[in-house]
Amino acid sequence: MEIRGVFIEDTFAEAFAMRAARVVITARTMKWARAAALKLTGFATSVIACKCEAAIERELTPDETPDARPGVSALLFTMDTDSLGKRLTERIGQTVLTCPTASCFDGLPDVPDRLPAARALRTFGDRFQISKVVNGERYWRVPVMEGECLLQESFGMQKQGVGGGNFLILAQDIDAALDAAEAAVAAIDGMPGVILPFPGGVVRSGSKIGSRGYKGMIASTNDAYCPTLRPFTATALPDGVNAVLELVLDGLSPDAISAAMRAGIDAACRPGVRAISAGNYGGKLGPHHFHLRQIMGAPV
Amino acid sequence: MSDGVVLTVRARPDARLDLTGVTPDRCANLSASEIAGLPVWLGATEARVGDIFDVRGERSARVEIKGDLGDACGVGARMTGGLLHVHGSVGDDAGQAMAGGVLRVDGHAGERLGGGLPGAARGMTGGEIVVFGSAGGSAGALMRRGLVAVAGGVGACAGRGMMAGTLLALGPVGELPGVGNKRGSIIAAGGVAVPASYRFACAYEPPHVRLLLTSLRRRLGFPCDPGLVAGRFDRYCGDAGEPGKGEILVWTGYANGHERTSR
Repeated sequence: MEIRGVFIEDTFAEAFAMRAARVVITARTMKWARAAALKLTGFATSVIACKCEAAIERELTPDETPDARPGVSALLFTMDTDSLGKRLTERIGQTVLTCPTASCFDGLPDVPDRLPAARALRTFGDRFQISKVVNGERYWRVPVMEGECLLQESFGMQKQGVGGGNFLILAQDIDAALDAAEAAVAAIDGMPGVILPFPGGVVRSGSKIGSRGYKGMIASTNDAYCPTLRPFTATALPDGVNAVLELVLDGLSPDAISAAMRAGIDAACRPGVRAISAGNYGGKLGPHHFHLRQIMGAPV
Repeated sequence: MSDGVVLTVRARPDARLDLTGVTPDRCANLSASEIAGLPVWLGATEARVGDIFDVRGERSARVEIKGDLGDACGVGARMTGGLLHVHGSVGDDAGQAMAGGVLRVDGHAGERLGGGLPGAARGMTGGEIVVFGSAGGSAGALMRRGLVAVAGGVGACAGRGMMAGTLLALGPVGELPGVGNKRGSIIAAGGVAVPASYRFACAYEPPHVRLLLTSLRRRLGFPCDPGLVAGRFDRYCGDAGEPGKGEILVWTGYANGHERTSR
């Protein structure tokens, strides 16, 4: 299968089940909502070392937010329920509670599984905090030096979240790889229910499980896709490929991942790109398999 | 099960009608004939819902009342859930001892809106009462939890002895609001004389008021314009005595250059 001369490999991305939450941050202006959201989602590229994966999903107009202010929605993913609650508490407490004029709301109100992640943060109010219930949901008014910080107490937990959807852009050089990756990120940007947790939405350090040289390493460089190691390893790179970049996607559902991969791969099929591939572990580790050719509309 | 239960007044009752106990949570499990058989009081005489209303629909927690009920007391009293929508006015003790659900009144409400049973230590303990007209005295008295929102004014002694919860009035608030208030919130957007037993705290834009007004406007069409949503309020803390954690929030103007367009 080819798209505009770019070969689509007959392979699949292997992804994992994750717990997910959507955090809606509003503020007096979009500038401050983004400021809080950027901190909330900072250092959250991979659960391997960051304990969670998070990124901004999209900006929200006042018509879309609970308090009619400009806002930002962010998605946060973890491997288990306990960790999701802890990460939400830590991050909301350190980034929204601290940010001027920011408030924090649950973005998954229809999800039945709830985490009272902001309940612990009420104690920052030192017994001056006030609880209010609006439309059946509890909020905490925490007194701060600029007035009050408003935090919704509980957050919906999506149990069917998916982490680790991905595709690889195999290009003739770094210029072509970056152009394609940036085009793919732009195409995915703002799509509902999906985030790209890595810097600028792109990963250069794709990994394989474990290590050939160091015991105890959870992951190490994916040497099969490193162009500088072509003579030393069982390379997966076709001739003429000198740079590879990866997009990793986390989503609230498999459908969200598929739609984003379709848009991203289509945008990435540009001059200088030789092939699109995907990372997997033989299909034995992750329950979600995203077959590239199926996603792009070709029969498997 | 139907989309909703509609009670239409046949003729204005010639005695005071007490609708205590005719609640959406009860109608949710009753047939039309069973709803028509619910007891009500007409003056000192026991009557049936079917004697006063045409009953349409059954087994639904969404109940509409159509017709003039301006003298009827106890509308929505002891509600625990569902929606009771009155297309008109209600009399005294509407939402008495209410514990849950939404009571919507398109017209006015009488005395003791959301209050307690006679002699009780607490008034409503949950749910929302939303009145699109005005309300009489002692609205939200002894409130323990929940919301009373009034688009017009409220009478004297609003929020008397509030333990918690929120009383919102877009119109003027009568004299002596929040006497004995422990932890309740009174939001006054249309003028109020704050009792001397309250202490001024600050002028600010309370985020929970913004959230509350936005929620009411979007869900129920409550007539608070966007300018009011972005309003600035003076916060007064009281009432004097323990614990004294109640508040009266007095609307003072618009923030961010908003202009009031309507109310």
